[in-house]
Amino acid sequence: MLRTILDRRVVLVSGKGGVGRTTVSAALARAAAAAGKRVLVAEIEEPATQAQSTLARMFGREVLPARPTLLAPGIHGVMLATEEGTEQFLGDVFRVQTLARLALRNAALRRLLHAAPSFHEMGVYYHLLHLLRQLQPDGKPRWDLLVVDMPATGHTLALTALPDILLRLVRRGPIATALREGQGWLNNPRTGGALVVTIPEPLPVTESIELSEGLRATHMTVVATIANKVPVDPFSPEERAALEDLLPPGPMTGKEELARIERARVSLERLRSSTAPPVLAVPAFPVDGPAATEAMARFFMGDEP
Amino acid sequence: MSHLGSHLREKRIIVCCGAGGVGKTTTSAALAVAAAQDGRRVLVLTIDPSKRLAEALGVSTNTPEPVRVRPEREAQAGIQAPGTLSAWMLDPKLVADAAVKRLVRDPKKLRELLANPIYQQVTQMIAGMQEYTAMEALHGFVERGEYDLVILDTPPARNALNFLDAPRRLGEFMDGRIFRMLLPEQDSGPFGGTTRALAAKVLTGVFGEEFFADLQVFFAAFSTIFAQLNGNAQKMRERMQQDDVIFLLVTSPVRTALDDALYFEDRLRELSLPLGGLILNRSRQINSDRPMPGPHLLPEGATDAHRRALAHLSLLAEREREQEAEHRELRATLVAHAPQDIAVLVVPEFPGGIDDLPGLGELARWLIGRAA
Repeated sequence: MLRTILDRRVVLVSGKGGVGRTTVSAALARAAAAAGKRVLVAEIEEPATQAQSTLARMFGREVLPARPTLLAPGIHGVMLATEEGTEQFLGDVFRVQTLARLALRNAALRRLLHAAPSFHEMGVYYHLLHLLRQLQPDGKPRWDLLVVDMPATGHTLALTALPDILLRLVRRGPIATALREGQGWLNNPRTGGALVVTIPEPLPVTESIELSEGLRATHMTVVATIANKVPVDPFSPEERAALEDLLPPGPMTGKEELARIERARVSLERLRSSTAPPVLAVPAFPVDGPAATEAMARFFMGDEP
Repeated sequence: MSHLGSHLREKRIIVCCGAGGVGKTTTSAALAVAAAQDGRRVLVLTIDPSKRLAEALGVSTNTPEPVRVRPEREAQAGIQAPGTLSAWMLDPKLVADAAVKRLVRDPKKLRELLANPIYQQVTQMIAGMQEYTAMEALHGFVERGEYDLVILDTPPARNALNFLDAPRRLGEFMDGRIFRMLLPEQDSGPFGGTTRALAAKVLTGVFGEEFFADLQVFFAAFSTIFAQLNGNAQKMRERMQQDDVIFLLVTSPVRTALDDALYFEDRLRELSLPLGGLILNRSRQINSDRPMPGPHLLPEGATDAHRRALAHLSLLAEREREQEAEHRELRATLVAHAPQDIAVLVVPEFPGGIDDLPGLGELARWLIGRAA
């Protein structure tokens, strides 16, 4: 399954908050780098938030700049940012950087652009496009793979739905051209794809199925669902049967974990029989931060036959 | 009874903030149930609820008006007259349409405005429009006076307070002087001459001539309407500072919970807005006096399988105890750092999540401190 994920140019990692989306993004980047790919892992800037980056923390850093920075061997990281994307866009449109800078420095124009709905998404979209286009001196792409740690569900769909909505309004001109080029990367199953991360609990699974449907409605190929933090069931069938004799009727520490294992089993079954794409079950690792991403990357690589 | 109980009886507006995935929508709905149980007429404005929760509240299809939960189901959830529970899912397009209809009397002009292609697309954008319309919707429902309490579930954002900033950004967008920059054939005001020429050049280059022309039509038609909407947003922003408004932060038991809470508190103080409490969701620190498994569980003539099963069970119990200890520690840290008058409420994890009215009722009991 790993190859079907990594043999693309751009993979969007989505899912609701708290499911481990950022850990999965970092782990995929590590696995891809271990397979010899030049990887760029990206986070999307939220306007007016603190500068700290959760993604950078997965590599022992605090912040992620808007220009690709080396995070680990073979892995660069970048913050997809409105400002950077807008500057690139205006630069490409006018060819003359000075005009772009002048335009961006004009206070009134900046305020107008920043307040426009979807301006933020458009800037991020263009920044992504710019990175996908980058080439090495030998003409090969500078980045074999771009892994994007997407924001919360609603904002993910806002970004993937952006081309359709804007193209209905703006049919010609540089914005339309950029949007169509982006669709060429993102919506082509050979070059682009999305992953949906969830945890094996009833409500998150339901929401992940809805998210997969939402992504497909915006022409994204959903490559896989990653069921994260799956609790390991330590009981063999024989031990399971024996367990029935042991459990007292009243409350006892340990019963909640047992119930969690059972919920995970049922949730995974439901996920597998749903319309969701192939499911990859990833165990819970007893570590946090960078160590968790390394453990998960090893798990991904071991999954390869 | 907790602080929160008195807030639910006295306040007119409660704003629930928090990062995505912490259970903010569910908590907002449960707070609404709790206040309705106390006899208040409550409206919860939700954003992007899960399908099942939306069904439970009766807002699974976008309705033009808030929907009251059916009285027999209210009764099942412990809500009795005069208390009522209504819900509405924030729909940016409906909010914008309602505002335009309110402000434009001439039917011909109204039809033209609502049919404007840019208007239609912009109001359907998810990005940004939720933030812009949340304040307008809140303003409308508070002004109408049909509800004793309106609970607002804020749009998902890493920065829980982005929506408060929306009126300012909207204000800048709607700034008349900026409009003038876009409009042809205007007197040269402060933006005459070079700036206008530059703006026209940039905007034509960026949008293409065709779209730039559409844009000019759009702005000419909507400038006065936007100015009035902006007025409402500003009023609402000031309204937020009154005594009958409270902000609550919802967090989940993660290591960053404390950082989130401190940051949120700072931001609210900067904005002179009142923080009413912290709700720590999905905590496992409750019920920690349950017995541990041990050899006393083994039946007479226990087999190897029994012993192995007990060993596995003991490991699970150990893990559960460790998590409880972690969550207790996190709560202690939160309490130690929270300002004196801020309640820190701990709500247990509900196995399997909450997606129906009885579940919301149970969560409500925890929130007001009446849980068994």
